[in-house]
Amino acid sequence: MKATKQASIPEQPVRSWRGGIPLQSLYTAGLGGQVFFKALKERGEIVGTRCRDCKQVYVPARAFCERCFAELTEQVKVKPEGTLTSFTFSYFDRDGKRMEAPDVLGLVQLEGATTVMLNRLLKVCEPSKISIGARVRVVIRPQARRTGSILDIEGFELI
Amino acid sequence: MSMPKNLRGTGLESEDFKKGKVFTQYYVPKIEYAWDTGEAIGRYLAELKNGRLAARRCNRCQRNLIPPRMFCERCFRLTDDWVYVQDTGTVNTFSICYVSWDVQRLKTPEIPAVIEIDGAAPGTGILHKLGNVKPKDVQVGMKVRAVWKPVAERTGSITDIKFFEPIKSAREKKR
Repeated sequence: MKATKQASIPEQPVRSWRGGIPLQSLYTAGLGGQVFFKALKERGEIVGTRCRDCKQVYVPARAFCERCFAELTEQVKVKPEGTLTSFTFSYFDRDGKRMEAPDVLGLVQLEGATTVMLNRLLKVCEPSKISIGARVRVVIRPQARRTGSILDIEGFELI
Repeated sequence: MSMPKNLRGTGLESEDFKKGKVFTQYYVPKIEYAWDTGEAIGRYLAELKNGRLAARRCNRCQRNLIPPRMFCERCFRLTDDWVYVQDTGTVNTFSICYVSWDVQRLKTPEIPAVIEIDGAAPGTGILHKLGNVKPKDVQVGMKVRAVWKPVAERTGSITDIKFFEPIKSAREKKR
């Protein structure tokens, strides 16, 4: 082995190594999602699927029953109105930065559905103005602006 | 696309996505990371900025370890000293690679190689690239030297060494 000089000068080490991971995602709606988004985009309707055995109406539509694993083929149009089952005020964005105006999110059980749907609560600025059990209505974008995305639903507004 | 008969689903080609055959959501997540270098690699990277290869010495097995580590994996004990090793070495193994890291075809191949560094324990080495050499001329056992970036361009990264190039013997140089 060749002679080596002992290193004596203290160095400021490199503490961390920074980088990014380039990722792109193309998410397909799937069999159930396809049913739901087609109805939403083309007709402005909220459609679910029914499992008769389990007495469930899944909204948004699903391809199979998550209780009995049966394939779900029966489509059900539900009323674009329902009941607020939970809500939250979020003052932080996805990156953890504080926002001036909060995002208000609500879980809503639409009439005819046995499941709840998550979306924005529109025109609500204070928690004291709403309560669980409040009646809400789905606000859907005009047809020309609908793309077949969950964002075609602008949110829920209080009735 | 032909689907196996026992599977349900929607066979999709990239054309189908463009035509909007199914509903999709396109999303580019922003993913950043900071990898903690640890004590040994932190010092190693800082020394690269100075154009030196720093190794850790284990006094029990008498090996100089590069890349350096604070723990000798052979003796199961902490390593003892920092030492500098040469920026020359020997090709231990190599590959001629026509595909980039993100799977793009390369016309000019990259030649990643494990280089046994002079002054470090034999049989170990660092992974780097070879340059200034034709792929067909690369051989295991070939003597090579680090080609450093100019001082101002160094950042404390393994890429502060651009690549390793063959050391030509005096006789070869004359020709």
